[in-house]
Amino acid sequence: MTEWLLAAAILLAAMIAPGVVAVRGTATDGVVAVQFAGTLASLAVLAMAEGFGRQPFADLALVLAVLSFAGTLAFARFLELGR
Amino acid sequence: MSARELIADVLLFGGVALILATSLGMVVMRNAYERLHFVGPTAIAAIAIALAVLVQEGPSLIAIKAGLVAAFLALTSPVLVHFTARAAREWERGDWRPGGGR
Repeated sequence: MTEWLLAAAILLAAMIAPGVVAVRGTATDGVVAVQFAGTLASLAVLAMAEGFGRQPFADLALVLAVLSFAGTLAFARFLELGR
Repeated sequence: MSARELIADVLLFGGVALILATSLGMVVMRNAYERLHFVGPTAIAAIAIALAVLVQEGPSLIAIKAGLVAAFLALTSPVLVHFTARAAREWERGDWRPGGGR
């Protein structure tokens, strides 16, 4: 079981990369980084649900994936409109 | 460790290694258009991790949920990449078409 938690920890540590990109880059870089981080977070939650043996927690991963899709669409729309 | 767990681990850490490689690419690349190329492979990593859950648990509820997450990510990631690239171009030039804008 514990390799799932290790995988979740690595996925969380990998979120430093989009963080660095969002801090140092332009607004466009930020939208790309948010999109990347949303996928990473939902995969980390999925790995944690398996690692802790809590099957209902996988719902959170699904909800997070759907919400980060909507969130990225909204941010990209603002990027398109606000110059 | 049984063969099933070994296959699950290979799939899981294959997906995690792909994520690590793409996040390295995110940092190294120079502009947003180059960074966008590294958002696509995360969907493949999602499929690998969902397959790892399926191999580990067999046909169960968490395998269905993991499959739904992977399918959703695989279906929406190209749409998002396209829309973000278009929005970025519109933000830079005022029009997304080639030769349009300023």
